[in-house]
Amino acid sequence: MSSMEIILFKLAFALCTLSTAGYLLSLLIKRVALAKISTWILVITAGLLTINLFLSLINPAGYVQLGSREFFSFCAWAIAVAYLVIQIKTKTRLLGAFISPFILLLMIAAAGQEAGRSLVPEDMRSWLTIVHLVLVIAGEALFVLASCAGAMFIIQNSLLKHKKSSRMSRLLPALHDLDRINYLCLLWGFPVLTLGLFAGVIFAGFTWERGWSADPKIIWTFAAWATYGFLLHQRLAVGWKGIRMAVMSCAVFILFLLSYSGVRFCFSTLHDFI
Amino acid sequence: MITLIGLNYKTAPLAVREKLFAGCQEENNLLHELIVIEGVQEAMFLATCNRIEVLTCIDGQAQTVQKLRDFLAKSGSLTKKESIDCLYTYFGEDAVRHLFRVASSLDSLVMGETQILGQVKNAYRQALGKNSTGAVINRLLHRTFRTAKRVRSETAIAVNPVSVSFAAVTLAKKIFGSLTGKKVLLIGAGEMAELTGMHLISSGVTEIIIANRSPAQALMLAEKFHGRAVSLEALEEELIAADIVISSTGAPAYIVSADLIRQIHHQRKNRLLFLIDIAVPRDIDPLAGSVENVYLYNIDNLQDIVDENMNVRKKEACKAEAIVEDEVKRYISWIKELEAVPTIISLRNKVEGIAQAEIAKAAPWLTTMKDEERRKVEALVNAIVNKLLHNPVAALKEESADFGSAHITAVTRQLFQLDE
Repeated sequence: MSSMEIILFKLAFALCTLSTAGYLLSLLIKRVALAKISTWILVITAGLLTINLFLSLINPAGYVQLGSREFFSFCAWAIAVAYLVIQIKTKTRLLGAFISPFILLLMIAAAGQEAGRSLVPEDMRSWLTIVHLVLVIAGEALFVLASCAGAMFIIQNSLLKHKKSSRMSRLLPALHDLDRINYLCLLWGFPVLTLGLFAGVIFAGFTWERGWSADPKIIWTFAAWATYGFLLHQRLAVGWKGIRMAVMSCAVFILFLLSYSGVRFCFSTLHDFI
Repeated sequence: MITLIGLNYKTAPLAVREKLFAGCQEENNLLHELIVIEGVQEAMFLATCNRIEVLTCIDGQAQTVQKLRDFLAKSGSLTKKESIDCLYTYFGEDAVRHLFRVASSLDSLVMGETQILGQVKNAYRQALGKNSTGAVINRLLHRTFRTAKRVRSETAIAVNPVSVSFAAVTLAKKIFGSLTGKKVLLIGAGEMAELTGMHLISSGVTEIIIANRSPAQALMLAEKFHGRAVSLEALEEELIAADIVISSTGAPAYIVSADLIRQIHHQRKNRLLFLIDIAVPRDIDPLAGSVENVYLYNIDNLQDIVDENMNVRKKEACKAEAIVEDEVKRYISWIKELEAVPTIISLRNKVEGIAQAEIAKAAPWLTTMKDEERRKVEALVNAIVNKLLHNPVAALKEESADFGSAHITAVTRQLFQLDE
């Protein structure tokens, strides 16, 4: 990792903190103007992270050095970009107040990792693993967004059901818009995750003669994939909408966050670098 | 003495209002019963979903007031406690102020709404039809309409009207975001439904369906909104297609049950449904609001939304209160001054009569003058008369406005021998 990359990362980290603080403050004082500024700061953060990622890609030693820091900062980048795209599409700035703490957490995780320590084993270095990683992370990022929209839906729903006309209610986006964000994220997240998993499976099939074993993280990811697939199916075929979808997305997300932490800290797996 | 007795949404909960409203359905008979109460000289009856008030001119006896209160309590079969807690009574100047504030929509659930003036006008028309009003109430109502008109034109209180319907549209936007392409079902084709429909159309709603007991009214409204009129039998089918439902019928029981909403939930594919129940008594079972993705607001719930806009309107309301105060003062002084008016008229007639008589007497030599000179002499006489009268008339008016005019009119009549 060059000094340039380190500076970029630190700058992005500072801006991300600023943006998160701005979003949370905008929620507290209930001003949309502040959320607008925070959005632009987040745009710059995402831009810096993009350059950072680009630099590490063209760095001849970059891929070899793919480590935990790169992994987490890539996750942060994916969520930020996914959010910004959704925000352009649906004009709901306040989603940022819910999503930016996640981005910040990932940035903190990235900063806490030893830079440049390669964790990917020699035998797993291939372009397919990159495709696998990028798509899986992008898919998961979209699910994070879906859950955030779900959380906001739950809050707005309870405000409307209990007939509480607060400034909070006015600030939060309309129910229908939140439901649509949830839907779009599931709709796009699922195929992206599917492709990502597929890439991983192909890689494993070609490279490992023993095939791929029951790795806890693999099981975890497949479980997530199947659950989100189930949610998407319920949405499209059965017609789940609104509050049920919001509660389910949130519940599934929290469950997977917990089980992921469990797997990460308790088991040694093929995917030790994530 | 002008006396106003009644209850409104501030003093009485929905359940009590429902009871009294149900009891006051046959307004004409009630008005008839009111006017025959001993001590009641004039009476008028105002019943809307938010208030039921009786405006009377009575003899000023305490027992007459009690009789009126008992009458209202009996009409709504209110308990003794309810009638003590909910009914308010205003006399004289306070009653005038209250009426002015009501008609100017300063006392409304949604401040600045414009329906109440129409309702007051209707109530007055009904009273006129029944011949239950007289000089006092007629005059009072005339001033009431004038005050309401002034408030509307001189303040911004009605520029962006915050009415029940407007509050409903705001909520709809909180649920659906954009209202473009949403389907609206109006149950009941009353004035309220019409107003809400208009608001919704200006917010982008394109399809309005009107379900009503009387097909004629539904058709009329449908034509106006380029919508569709259906009968109440087709309600279930239309509920499945609708996104926003506004119910405002006068039906005594629930028209939309919670079971019906639960049943059609699946056919609606769980879409968001916004139910607005602005009817009193209520049209939609309150339990329907607990169904998933269904948001039910009744007329009391809309109060919350109104509060939002209240702060913005407080400034305008202050201006409006000043206008009301001004008009109350004018009305009261006018009433008092009125007692001086006959004296002033007699005084003028007497003095002008003397002047005319003198001119007539001088006719033989006046005709010898040139036309221009004669006109000048006549103008001189008129000027003297007016100057002489000016101070006594002003004094009469002023005195009567402040202290009542009995004394000064008596003196004036004696001095100028007006009673002979």
